[in-house]
Amino acid sequence: MPESIPAPLIIDTLKDTFREARGGSTREPLGWILSVPDTHQKSVLAALDKERALRVVTCATEDEANAIGAGLWIGGEPVVLMIQHAGLYASVNTLRGVAMDGRVPMFYMIGLLQRERDRDPKESRHSMVRFAEPLLDTFGVPHARLEGPDDVHLIPEYFRLSRARRGPAAVLVGLETS
Amino acid sequence: MAMKPEEILRAIAAARGDAICVPTMTTSPAWRSLAPDDLSIGCVGFMGGASSLGLGLALAMPRRRVIVFDGDGSLLMQLGSLATIAGAAPRNLTHLLFKNGVYHTSGSQDIPGGLSVDFVQMAKGAGYRKAYAVSDFEDFKRRLPSMLTDEGPLLVELHTGLADKTPMTDRGGQPFHQQVESLYQKLHKAG
Repeated sequence: MPESIPAPLIIDTLKDTFREARGGSTREPLGWILSVPDTHQKSVLAALDKERALRVVTCATEDEANAIGAGLWIGGEPVVLMIQHAGLYASVNTLRGVAMDGRVPMFYMIGLLQRERDRDPKESRHSMVRFAEPLLDTFGVPHARLEGPDDVHLIPEYFRLSRARRGPAAVLVGLETS
Repeated sequence: MAMKPEEILRAIAAARGDAICVPTMTTSPAWRSLAPDDLSIGCVGFMGGASSLGLGLALAMPRRRVIVFDGDGSLLMQLGSLATIAGAAPRNLTHLLFKNGVYHTSGSQDIPGGLSVDFVQMAKGAGYRKAYAVSDFEDFKRRLPSMLTDEGPLLVELHTGLADKTPMTDRGGQPFHQQVESLYQKLHKAG
């Protein structure tokens, strides 16, 4: 059964991920969170408000987040996009144009709002949940599920993967963060 | 008489120093010929993204000026970026809006609202530090130095005619991924 992941665990993992991306440097900001606010990850976003080491840019759309992320990466900055599955659907052209065609490393944390605790996402009653993984598969975007605290190691792994393959990679946040 | 986009770009090319430039749509062919191998990256394949791409570059490189050559039709596709840019408040971002009232590349259909859309008011309302319109080339040349040095985010609505070429009539240029790689290498090689 999936479990909720505490926000501090995610934030500490993001900090470690960014420190590694900077070769161990502790320069601040350690990295950038580009967010289109996601109900599913709201506890993380609330905790990020108090964080000085990470800089958050709230974007009006996921299209913007992709393009801002490209600019930051070209400028040498590590970036994570925190969005919701609906935002993934809304921004597939930019994902394609920026992260795929542009070969820009782009790491997404995608909230699966309304994901049922007792049901595999591919069998969800909600189309927003059900289609997320098939859509990523269609675009050839590697992805993994964050099903509980034991899975946070997937955050640095898929962040590294996005850089290694010079393209998009994603983790899907199964239950609402706590 | 409306300003010529090529004249504006020529003046910018002479004045921009080491600024990173982000052209899109009809400014791209002319900019390629004026600045063929420099610190530029065109927004290709995700229309409307130039302002956001420029914002990311400006945030990553706060000591370097970033100039976006946006279009009115393009900006309408990502109009929320005005608020996102204002919220992030990059002091080094100059957002030049080439306003001709039409989607020139796709056959000059009117944009929604045509020339009556007031992007200056929109930028001010969003929270840009400064926004104004320029319709005369002599005035543009006089104000250009401050456009490149004033604290941003700054939006200048440029009232222009149509460019001589569009991405459809002049299809040259590097694919986006090559531009990404080229700019990345130049920025990081230069330290």
